[in-house]
Amino acid sequence: MRPVQFIFIVLLGLVTYLYFSRLRSGLLDRMIVLLFAALGVAMTMVPDLTTKVANLVGVGRGVDLFFYLSIIGLAFICLLLYSRIRQLEASITELARVLAIKKTIVPDNPDEPKF
Amino acid sequence: MTVGAPRRMNRSVFVVVPIFNEGPVIESTLKPLIARGYSVVAVDDASDDDTWSVVRTLPVYSLRHAINLGQGAALQTGMTFALGKGARFIVHFDADGQHNPDDIDVLLEPLRKGQADVALGSRFLRGADRRAIPRTKRLLLRAGRVVNGILTGLWLSDAHNGFRAFTREAAAKIDLRENRFAHATEILTQMREARLRLAERPTAILYTERSMAKGQPMWNSIKIVIDVLLRRIFR
Repeated sequence: MRPVQFIFIVLLGLVTYLYFSRLRSGLLDRMIVLLFAALGVAMTMVPDLTTKVANLVGVGRGVDLFFYLSIIGLAFICLLLYSRIRQLEASITELARVLAIKKTIVPDNPDEPKF
Repeated sequence: MTVGAPRRMNRSVFVVVPIFNEGPVIESTLKPLIARGYSVVAVDDASDDDTWSVVRTLPVYSLRHAINLGQGAALQTGMTFALGKGARFIVHFDADGQHNPDDIDVLLEPLRKGQADVALGSRFLRGADRRAIPRTKRLLLRAGRVVNGILTGLWLSDAHNGFRAFTREAAAKIDLRENRFAHATEILTQMREARLRLAERPTAILYTERSMAKGQPMWNSIKIVIDVLLRRIFR
């Protein structure tokens, strides 16, 4: 085994461990993470595998295919995070709004509106 | 200025003023509204100057966001509050003093007559108002009109005028989720979806050095379009 293969597998293992130990999530999520980890290990152990797949879909080198897929994957993650941020923002807005209305300072004039 | 009976009538008109860092001018913006007998809803969007200490001492409904959320959020807070207080009409009024309080009646007229559900102020219906707009701003607004038309399907003469009036029923149909400046486009989309009857009325804008410096620079217009487009993707 080349040193680089060893390093990658250790890093992959670490990320997977962190995911399972720190983040709780649904069954599907876990399966996807495991699948990706297994794929990563396989690709590291058998580097030619990616090249074969790449040739199948019409890309020259396995590294290139991997690179393209990574970009798509990252863009996807960015969008997920973005929508998550928007949801958070909506919740915070709701909180701030309710609080602001609750703590309204009412003018103390004699003809307080009655209608 | 009206006093007596009409002044009392104005109580059911809630003027929502979203405020962010307008300490030096906010009192002079709010006083004429108070004097006309309107129910003023001042929403301080977590200003970090002395805005809040000024606003809270005035005879207005003073609301304050705990954190800065943007003008759209402040307007929605004010509208939600006003509806809860039983407002008959709700008016959006800019805090920097660029709107003329006398124009509120101009906007309310079609609503009171039942001819429209929403009245929007426009700087492009009278030659004098149009000429008062600085040249670059005028061009930007022309472009904004086209962008808004395409995005919302509403072709208005003035793309970004913060001076609006709603009947109670119309305001209840508006739910601004766009916290920052893209709310101006969002509000048009919601008006169209709710099939509200619109009227445009000429309103004057007083361009002060302060409002110009604070107003929306070119870059903001681009951000607004991006916000609106992203909104399309993420409901």
